[in-house]
Amino acid sequence: MQQAPLGVDRDSDAEAARAALKADIARLATGDRSALKDIYRATSAKLYGIALRILGDEREAEDAVQDIYLDLWKRAERYDPARASPISWLATMARNRAVDRLRTRGKVAHASVPEAAAAHVADGSVPADGQIELDQRDARIHFCLEQLEKRQRSAISRAFLGGATYIQLAEDDDVPLSTVKSRVHRGLSRLKACIERQ
Amino acid sequence: MTDEPAPIPGLTADEVLAGEFVLGLLTGERLLLARGRLAREPDFADAVAHWEDHFAPLLERWDAVEPPASLWQRIEAGMSDDDAQGAVTDIVALDAMRTSIMRWRIVAAGLGAVAVVSLLVAISPPVRTTEPAPDPLLAASIPIADTPLRLALTWVPERQQLTVSSTGLVPDGVHDHELWLVDRAGDLHSLGVIVPGEEARFSVSPDLAGDFRDGAQLVLTREPLGGKPADADAGPVVAEGEFTAI
Repeated sequence: MQQAPLGVDRDSDAEAARAALKADIARLATGDRSALKDIYRATSAKLYGIALRILGDEREAEDAVQDIYLDLWKRAERYDPARASPISWLATMARNRAVDRLRTRGKVAHASVPEAAAAHVADGSVPADGQIELDQRDARIHFCLEQLEKRQRSAISRAFLGGATYIQLAEDDDVPLSTVKSRVHRGLSRLKACIERQ
Repeated sequence: MTDEPAPIPGLTADEVLAGEFVLGLLTGERLLLARGRLAREPDFADAVAHWEDHFAPLLERWDAVEPPASLWQRIEAGMSDDDAQGAVTDIVALDAMRTSIMRWRIVAAGLGAVAVVSLLVAISPPVRTTEPAPDPLLAASIPIADTPLRLALTWVPERQQLTVSSTGLVPDGVHDHELWLVDRAGDLHSLGVIVPGEEARFSVSPDLAGDFRDGAQLVLTREPLGGKPADADAGPVVAEGEFTAI
């Protein structure tokens, strides 16, 4: 896969926040436990927001966030700054952890969370939180997702934001597995092409 | 999954698999395959990281919500617990024969650190090291009887590391389930007590690593909490499966 083009006009505060976060994760990887507090201060509201959105339950979201930071504390060295933005990495970790909990609970929300999430994604609102960077990558994925055919966008959104698997998507839409896969594959192909053009 | 759609222009098969993995769409063997490749193929890990970087802003746009102040206190307490346990597991890691089972048992039994250290020092055999085996990546998907759930195992030979995912399993508060590998001679070797609903990675002793091979049998037994007592026979087999090279 080619390296996607990176934004060039990032907000300098966001860039400073990202650099600080990278430095904190690097410190944590060396065993400096005070770094976790700094990372928590900078990111916990964002990660808790993600967990709460996916799980829809404060207690579950708190447990998920606790797991994330303890996991980070144990394995901060897994973060590769060359591969991902630190907040993307942490946000993805929060999403995955929350979805794992959702599945463990046997309560993957088939429609409510994903549809609401998809609507939220499309509304173009700007987040109030100033700690975390939202740069051109953000505009790019939103724009490109909007370019997809509705069913492709819906499948991708319900999977990533709502935790649905192929099997659940096929059941929810009452279509064969191959149809759902085809929609996702075509959606991914168009997304990649769009992202690389931006 | 046998009904794969035709290849899609503009995406390699790896990009498709990485994208599906990041979106969380995969189950069964495809999920095991993706996990295994992520663990051992830097190019595939790059492909996964690219998709994660593309999709993560969708999450970042969700409103931030301040968690309760008590959450940080819980995390700090967890770090302290981990410090105590880390001291134990460092010693456990020296125990070439019992790494996995002891580490899991420590968690399950909640033993005090000092007592465990004394115990392990007493039973630890000499450390042995071996070259990583040039064996294939293995996966197993073990159906749990009377449930739609599966236990997903992935073996990464270079790291002599086993990943066990038991997503969907819930503890019944009365039993634990213990996973066993059947060696070439037909003897059972405990791989540890399954922690319901979690994904766990653990190391396997070099001695046993040679028995992780295509076709190797696995069985899951139902045991009292904490796993099979030392002085009892293994409990009833509730599921079985075998490793397949992937």
